[in-house]
Amino acid sequence: MSRELHIVGFKVGRETYGVPITSLHEIVRVPEITAVPDAPDYLEGVINLRGKIVSVMDLRKRFGERHATLGKQNRILVVEHAGRLAGLIVDSASEVLKIPAEAVEPPPAVFQEGGLNCVTGLGKVAGRLVVLLDMSKLLAPGSLQAKSENGEKKPGSKAEARGAAAK
Amino acid sequence: MTESPDERGAELRELFFETSQELLQALNDEALKLEKKPGDEEIVRVIRRTVHTLKGDSAACGLRELSELAHQFEDALSLEGTATQAAVAEIAFAAADVFAGMIAAYRSNGKMPSSKALSKKIADLTAAPAPEKEKTRRTKKTASKSSLKTTTAKTAEAKAAPTSAKVVAAQWTEYEKLAMTQAQASGQDVFHVVVKIDPHCAMPIAGRQLVHNAIGVMGPVLAMRPDAKSPAASKQVEFVLASVQTAEQIAAKCKIPTITSEVHIELLLDATAAVKKPQTDSGSENQKEIPAEASVPESAASDAIPTEDSPAAPSPEAAPANMLENILRVDAGRIDSVLNLVGELIIGKSMLQQALNEFSRRFPKEALRGKFADAMAFQARVLNDLQRSVMKIRMVPVDQLFRRFPRMVRDVARQCGRDVEVDITGQDTDLDKGILDAIAEPLTHLVRNAVSHGIEPAEERRKLGKPPQGVVRLNAYHQGNQVFVEVSDDGRGIDSQKIRAKAIELGVATLEETARMSEAEAVDFIFRPGFSTADEVTEVSGRGVGMDVVQSVLHRLKASISVETRPGKGTTFRMKLPLTLAIIKALLFWVEQRLYAIPLNAVLEIARTFETEVHQIDNYEVLQLRDQVLPLLRLGRPAARERTAKLFVLVITAGEKKYGLIVDALEGEEELVIKALDDHTFSTDLVSGASILGDGRVVLILNLPAIVEHVARWRQQETGQSNSGLLLTSTDRMRLAVSAGTGSAVGGQA
Repeated sequence: MSRELHIVGFKVGRETYGVPITSLHEIVRVPEITAVPDAPDYLEGVINLRGKIVSVMDLRKRFGERHATLGKQNRILVVEHAGRLAGLIVDSASEVLKIPAEAVEPPPAVFQEGGLNCVTGLGKVAGRLVVLLDMSKLLAPGSLQAKSENGEKKPGSKAEARGAAAK
Repeated sequence: MTESPDERGAELRELFFETSQELLQALNDEALKLEKKPGDEEIVRVIRRTVHTLKGDSAACGLRELSELAHQFEDALSLEGTATQAAVAEIAFAAADVFAGMIAAYRSNGKMPSSKALSKKIADLTAAPAPEKEKTRRTKKTASKSSLKTTTAKTAEAKAAPTSAKVVAAQWTEYEKLAMTQAQASGQDVFHVVVKIDPHCAMPIAGRQLVHNAIGVMGPVLAMRPDAKSPAASKQVEFVLASVQTAEQIAAKCKIPTITSEVHIELLLDATAAVKKPQTDSGSENQKEIPAEASVPESAASDAIPTEDSPAAPSPEAAPANMLENILRVDAGRIDSVLNLVGELIIGKSMLQQALNEFSRRFPKEALRGKFADAMAFQARVLNDLQRSVMKIRMVPVDQLFRRFPRMVRDVARQCGRDVEVDITGQDTDLDKGILDAIAEPLTHLVRNAVSHGIEPAEERRKLGKPPQGVVRLNAYHQGNQVFVEVSDDGRGIDSQKIRAKAIELGVATLEETARMSEAEAVDFIFRPGFSTADEVTEVSGRGVGMDVVQSVLHRLKASISVETRPGKGTTFRMKLPLTLAIIKALLFWVEQRLYAIPLNAVLEIARTFETEVHQIDNYEVLQLRDQVLPLLRLGRPAARERTAKLFVLVITAGEKKYGLIVDALEGEEELVIKALDDHTFSTDLVSGASILGDGRVVLILNLPAIVEHVARWRQQETGQSNSGLLLTSTDRMRLAVSAGTGSAVGGQA
């Protein structure tokens, strides 16, 4: 009997991504988000999750989409990692997928650097490709840094950002 | 009283570790006093008593090395002629250090510090006075007491030694004997109960526990032999029981078929007679001696040993017994979780309040309204009390921190050849335990600096016409929702010229800038990270080592520090601390359609003004408010085009300086329960936390020191930008850039 991975699949843009079901806390509609100043733009802000303050990251912006807007269909995946909660804005949360362990391929080498280093593997389910994400990399402060350096106009340097703002 | 004895033993030990800190502190305090008044016999007596208590307590906990060393010291102190020696204070300091080391070692099961040096010093002390007259009552008592003490110290081992099934009276520790005397004094009869466990009993250990339980029902068990862990416990147990019941009743209770084979009960008329050993007499003498001494109306004595001043405790040894019942040692984490829940309740309260307001608006004639309002008001009041009492649990007097300074100042002063006195006031001021712990380090830095750099050497002081002895003053007081802690000295003050020169040298300011700076502004440079590490400044102006450490700790606490210095007269560092870390009163306002909050106590006033009133001076926007010029910070977007726009300006203080924050609109005042933001995701220091409002909205609490610091950085960069847009997110900036391009005046309003 081969091992099966239980994955929560969700859509960001046209792609299906997945995180292990064990790291999922819950899925909620997008509430009012309070923006935090001086943060990278894909860090949308914080939300009130029944009395807990949870920071929310927009995965669409994280994966390069610049002008993502929030609509009714958007959901926040609240994931738990290393004892803390974080929210991920996705386009829609679709289903629970069971992927046999052998159907997961390691990510291509190009993914290892830059903003996509949070991909742990590519799973194949019924002809579809599911990009499996590693929570620890996705939420690690280091990954944000890397993204900021990569990105075009991130407030990595405050002076630069201010300069841009005043133009 | 159903705790098993080993549990109780562990608890006792913990208690001892706690109280021993007090005792060591008292020892230090008295040694300091003695140093000032060498040869004062009364102080030596207090020291001896403290050491004696330490010895007794440690023996009761089975900490043999400590009790023996304390015993040796105590003996030396009780000898005639020793007291007058100057070395006593010195040895007392050394002893305090060694004792502290030993206690720490017991606590962590670490390595024992060497006590040889101390032993030798003590031995020298006893050897020096030639006439060793064994004449006074005290000396005799000590001699006999010493023999007792050695046996007491050994009881720890004796306990473990298997006792034969014979009825042998155990030796009670001083501690237990004291409990007996007290019980008798309170009108209870004290019984010595010896119960033999039936040798055929299948489960002797459980049987023993049953007996213990049975006896526990009758009254408090004052002592028990042997210890639960010892194998002998399965044969015979001895108890000392304080009870109002008769011996027959107790005997009946103890007779448990198939478990106990024999019960022997004896009423103890004199508790101390319980020890049927030659030491009995000395024991009782000892018992009586101490209360007599303790009741000497001498304030120094009751100060030194805090456990003495309660009238319920006739002697220092009694205190732990009482404390066992009155003081609950609770893990701080549990209190925090209660405090958290109280926080949730406060959020709940504002939710209710909001719903009620809505209800009143919708049904203004509804009679139920009044009932709701009453219930609300009642609940709010109870909640307020609840919050205050929970906070109070966390509050401790500043004295806990202050009292360690006299010793430290003495040591530092000695090292650098100064003569310094410590003056402590306001030590009763209460402060959150967490904050108190956090400021220990900055305060130490400040005091150390004051002694080593602030105070001049004695000759220099004499030349200046100052008293040769310098004074370092520690003060604490409440003001509103804040606690101020001050460290001041009457030393040479900070030379602002030197600091200016250093600032120019380090390139943090230009010559013109430094020339323009006020004294206070120049002195503030010492808090700049990096600035302080320069050795020259440290030598010349004397301030700086660790100043940025001080600053960073205070930053974390949302506290601030200010410095006041007068050349030649002295320096005062004033820390402004929040009363608690958990709940603040805050002012809520809007910037760019988003709600923010700042601590209310930082707000001096709220001013309304017009864009036309804002002046531009050298890249900085300023506002003239009455007779002062305020540097302005625009939290939102840069100045609007139309000059007639109205502005809200919050006048805030950060450190000693004032700033004006331009905000878009005001929301109001609210009590906020601070919740931490996820530091891992947000690295920003502009926001110190977040809170949830009654309607579920999240409000960010701004970190004012960081915001002000950002302004300072702007000044350095001189990028030609006006100081605006601190709170804009990158999305805002994009929108603004777009709207600026299209010439729209409502940029960022989308």
